[in-house]
Amino acid sequence: MNWLLKRLPAVRPARSALAGAATLWVLGFCLSVLLTSRVAAGEPATATTSGVSPGAGGASAAAQRLAGEIDAAIAASQRAAGIEPGAVVEDAGFARRVTLDLAGRIPTTAELQAFLDDPAPGKRRRLIERLLTTADYAFHQRNQLDLLLLARLRRDGAWRDYLLQASRERRPWDQLLREILLPEREQPDEAGAAAFLRHRAKDLDALTNDTSSLLFGINIACAKCHDHPLVVDWEQRHYFGMASFFKRTYTTRGGSVAERFEGDVRFTTIYGEEKDASFMFLSGARVEEPAVERSDAEWKQVRQQIKEAEKNDQADPPPLPAFSPRAQLVDLALEDPRRYLAKNVANRLWARLLGRGLVDPLDQMHSENPPSHPALLERLAEELVAHDYQLSHLVRAIMISDTYARSSRLADAEPPPPEAFAVALPRPLTPHQLALSLSLATRDPAALPGPAKPSDWEQQRAAWEQRAEGWARRFEIPSPRFQVPVEEAMLLSNGTEMQQDLLADRSDRLVGALQKQPSVPEQIDRAFRAILSRPAEPAERERLAAYLEARRDRPVAGLRQMVWALLTSAEFRFNH
Amino acid sequence: MIHDSEDATDPPAGLDPTDLRRLAEWRSQDILFCIARAPGDPRLLVGSSDFGVDALDPTADKPQRQRFAGTGHHSYVTGLAIAGGQLISGSYDRQLIWWDLETGQQRRVQTAHDRWIRRLIASPDGKRLYSVADDMTCRVWDAASGESLATLRGHATETPHGYPSMLYAVAVSPDGRWLAAGDRVGHVAVWDTETFQQVATLEAPTMYTWDPRARRHSIGGIRSLAFSPAGTELAVGGIGKIGNIDHLQGPARVEIFRWREGERLQELEDETRKGLVEQMVWMPDGKRLLTVGGDHKGFLTFYDVGSGELLHQEGTGGHLHGVAIARDWQTLAVAGHQSIAEWTLQPPEEEA
Amino acid sequence: MHRQRTDLGSPPATVSRRQLLGAAAVGSTVAAADMNRLSLFSQSGLAGEIARGDKSVILLWLAGGASQLETWDPKPGRSTGGPFAKIQTSVPGIEISELLPKMSQRLNETAIIRSLNTKIADHGGGYALMDTGRRSEPGVEFPHLGAIIAHELAQRESQVPDHIEMYTSTEGRRKGAAGFLGARYNPMFLTDSMMPDNIQRLEAISDADHADRASLQQFLSQRFSRDVPHPAVDSHNAAYGRVRGLMASDYLFDVDREPQSMRDHYGPTQFGQQCLVARRLVEAGVPFVKVARAWWDSHGQNFETHRELCADLDHVMAALLDDLKQRGLLDKTLVVTMGEFGRTPKINGSLGRDHFASAWSCTLSGCGIRGGSVYGKTDEDGQTVIEGETGAGDLFATIFAALGIDHTKEYMLGSRPIPIADFDSFPIREILA
Repeated sequence: MNWLLKRLPAVRPARSALAGAATLWVLGFCLSVLLTSRVAAGEPATATTSGVSPGAGGASAAAQRLAGEIDAAIAASQRAAGIEPGAVVEDAGFARRVTLDLAGRIPTTAELQAFLDDPAPGKRRRLIERLLTTADYAFHQRNQLDLLLLARLRRDGAWRDYLLQASRERRPWDQLLREILLPEREQPDEAGAAAFLRHRAKDLDALTNDTSSLLFGINIACAKCHDHPLVVDWEQRHYFGMASFFKRTYTTRGGSVAERFEGDVRFTTIYGEEKDASFMFLSGARVEEPAVERSDAEWKQVRQQIKEAEKNDQADPPPLPAFSPRAQLVDLALEDPRRYLAKNVANRLWARLLGRGLVDPLDQMHSENPPSHPALLERLAEELVAHDYQLSHLVRAIMISDTYARSSRLADAEPPPPEAFAVALPRPLTPHQLALSLSLATRDPAALPGPAKPSDWEQQRAAWEQRAEGWARRFEIPSPRFQVPVEEAMLLSNGTEMQQDLLADRSDRLVGALQKQPSVPEQIDRAFRAILSRPAEPAERERLAAYLEARRDRPVAGLRQMVWALLTSAEFRFNH
Repeated sequence: MIHDSEDATDPPAGLDPTDLRRLAEWRSQDILFCIARAPGDPRLLVGSSDFGVDALDPTADKPQRQRFAGTGHHSYVTGLAIAGGQLISGSYDRQLIWWDLETGQQRRVQTAHDRWIRRLIASPDGKRLYSVADDMTCRVWDAASGESLATLRGHATETPHGYPSMLYAVAVSPDGRWLAAGDRVGHVAVWDTETFQQVATLEAPTMYTWDPRARRHSIGGIRSLAFSPAGTELAVGGIGKIGNIDHLQGPARVEIFRWREGERLQELEDETRKGLVEQMVWMPDGKRLLTVGGDHKGFLTFYDVGSGELLHQEGTGGHLHGVAIARDWQTLAVAGHQSIAEWTLQPPEEEA
Repeated sequence: MHRQRTDLGSPPATVSRRQLLGAAAVGSTVAAADMNRLSLFSQSGLAGEIARGDKSVILLWLAGGASQLETWDPKPGRSTGGPFAKIQTSVPGIEISELLPKMSQRLNETAIIRSLNTKIADHGGGYALMDTGRRSEPGVEFPHLGAIIAHELAQRESQVPDHIEMYTSTEGRRKGAAGFLGARYNPMFLTDSMMPDNIQRLEAISDADHADRASLQQFLSQRFSRDVPHPAVDSHNAAYGRVRGLMASDYLFDVDREPQSMRDHYGPTQFGQQCLVARRLVEAGVPFVKVARAWWDSHGQNFETHRELCADLDHVMAALLDDLKQRGLLDKTLVVTMGEFGRTPKINGSLGRDHFASAWSCTLSGCGIRGGSVYGKTDEDGQTVIEGETGAGDLFATIFAALGIDHTKEYMLGSRPIPIADFDSFPIREILA
């Protein structure tokens, strides 16, 4: 295995170059599309994705092909089940959805209007491409990765900075894997990447379970005490095999992660037999530790240095062993013919965008819980690997598919089974999406930019993120069978920040801006567009007009209450 | 405990703590809370968690614990004192029992306190006994008759946080004149043994850790007291501040006071061997102090009181609860968790 | 055996969604969230609810693991017994530790279980086991006891909260989860303050506007959830639907409304005052209140620590039982006193006891309990259970039975039945009235 270790550093720069080139290509592509789109005749939006000129090759064509495969697979299963797919979501809904999914926030009124007004065909595709290049994308991607990998456990600023940088650079998933599982070798000067391991390092079970579950889609916790009672695939040796890779991991007093030179896992079977665990990946692939001759003096020195590092934060960085179990794990994961790594992240990306994984629950990837679309999941994994683990390739392909663009409206029908993906599932906003959107929705719309962003948009967006932190901490992280807790309703109903900040009667706030509108209907319409990203419907207009009329003598109160009702409506709370 | 002048020999000059070494150890399944020796008697007398009082003769060929016989105690034996040729024990069962040192028989038993007795000592002249218990009284007894001579109340029954308190430590000055008791919350009271008037108080609040936030209870307390040979200094032993009060993970701590003036002369803390300082003995020169105690393990630690320097330390496998020192400092006998041991400060003889 | 099933999958066939949605009014606690998940409108469900009546549970959670040897199952004189004696109680033949003198005179409504063998001796695992009544399983989020009780006992039109947990200390602080029952049954979790956050209306808005605003929000939300029906969306409506009812309950948390004599009765400790709040809550119809008294994990100085903590427990538990009895509430309130495990008979070098789940105790008092009884026996040193071995599932079955809840009742998670008490769990008939 050592030859692989030596080889890999040489491979990495090439991948970054590829990612860099891809970004430039996309930018160039967008530019060319902008220039050509003016001449194209208007084309009605149909159920199929209006395509870009076939001549635009590279990343986009591959994504288009994959999107086609996705749609074909989904359509085939719907046909087989006799399920009619729902209608395509209308433009306003589409704009809101993709902005949330790529920029991590609702669209500004100007962004929304620009999209609605855009007459050129292929605008949906172009919107996706544009959003993939904005500063917002990296922030949102960072927040999503944090939610996946650490946020439930700990909020770690250095880790979030690390993820942001990685997201900005579009660092591929296999590289991220390497960096978070081998921070002391890959990122020795960066405290951030080590957080995944560091906050779990004192708990071998947490390291084992979380790695298996979050990175490979396999929850093997139950296999610790006995061969898994419900799942034949996982036995004790799988659990302890994975645990072996982490057994030697420790943290230094200074906060770095390192590995000892020795330490094996022994476990007792349910028959009371004591066994030594071998280094074994979930696929069953194993690794043998090469025998190394070390004198007693060398052992003593190594152990002493490690002990020093554990006790003293001023100590020298400890020595790193030539045989690194975690490095072996990374290699096995990347060579794994079953492609658990790729399948898991593909499944999770799918779930993030469609509301449900192809394998559901997300950490139950095993033979008795087959994917709803096994061949499709294989294809997504294959594509990811073929595109050097570039997550944005899958994101793009999924988002330009018809499957992604279904409406979430049921029109009084029975809901189809969710695994048919015939309608879009409502997805609760993540804490950051909600916090950012609350902030954005309550600003003066005229002060927020449209699609063209000011040169300091990166900094502005960073400031928005900072402000959102406090709110974000109060909101529940989405989970399977998510329910809104009553504490959230109480917070938004009676908390001071809502009243004094978001609903403030100031010229830079929505409440202030609405007062400048010439009529009540315009106030209502403005509010709807700013908050719900759509115009009001007649019944809504009527109800709200009556509400505001009844408060004619205290119009500010009326406006605040209307804004509040829109912000706290279920429609705002979900991505739909 | 240092014993009275019935011993013939004077302590040798130049006792060096660095010469400390263990001579023998006897392990057992129980916990020994207190240890005493009668003058001229080689036996180690111990009080046990199995409610018994035993004698162990280290000079015998095969030293065995011999149990004192009688109805005995009904809980941990936490104090032993030698007075007037008799052995008296105190226990959590609230009782004092008199034992005949020669016959090994129980002579008298009486209920002495309303709550668990924590410590028992004798006056230097052997005429009185002093006991402290969780009824927060220090009581004075006639050592021969068992008559109650005084009940001294210098300590609050509740901690400042509203919980029942404990009175752990008691000491008498070498001239027999001054009596000190120390409690859970770090309060020391000193009385005049002639008038039974309280003459001084001292505070060592660091010994008491109350955790309001994480675990919402307390730990620690003053566990030992010792007057200097001149009687003017008082050593107060316990434990320093503890972070995680599930364990005794705090520095062993001693404060030295010039007690009359209420002046604190010294604070000694040791992080190397942590835990409670269960008992302390001043060395004859009045400059150095032996402390024994522990957490899940144990220690014997010598300090220079003037400089505050830790002179020497030995660790033991088990928590030490008590020490008894022969007048000449020939041997130090310690008792604690599942162990009785004899140590010495005599340097080993040169090999012949 | 008839099993009462509660279907968490599809809505009931006989009633249309529209009809049900129309019936939901402001302040109703059973909103559309429940519909797709639970079929509450069946005949047996309603009848069962009437039978259950106005019952409550108070769980006194001895976080960190209290020692059974210093409380309910003393072994004085044994090498494992420690220094404390046992005392006679008001029930002939039953003796408990001398550290609980007040409770010793009040065992007439209490049953002691001495034979818990729950095997899991780490805090997180022990808590999960004792709070869900079963071993955890990946991919399934079992509801905690409070959520189950809230679900089973909450009165439909109740305005008061139905699941409250108080955990003020930071050590071992864990919040009970509603799991697959849905966040609707999550607890109101009080930590630093006994007054729930955001329960009081801001002065900046009048009560009339607050109510009108809520109606407006509901109008908008219901339009949306009609078009996009989904349990998560429905839960949003349900959460907002409960706000004003909860706000109206704020006075329940205000212990200053009690006369000083009552506050003195419970004593000055934080645990005492929180149990007083618990009584106020159950008096108002809150079905489940958990009051945690942390932190009993006496690895060192077990006897000193139990002197303090048992003094608190003894006084407060006695005060609570007296108060409930005096108000006629004790026969409708089940008081459960337990931790996540017990403590080792073996005493360690710091005079501490370590974690021990092989033979430990808990108590049940009040509703449905045959007071003055003891179930189960441990050996003379307290090392093993020799009679009446009881697991977490059996304890839960007993709790349900005491409250008149069918312990064999099943929730359907998709097509998978999940009994509210774990498989092969049986109520301990001997301690049920």
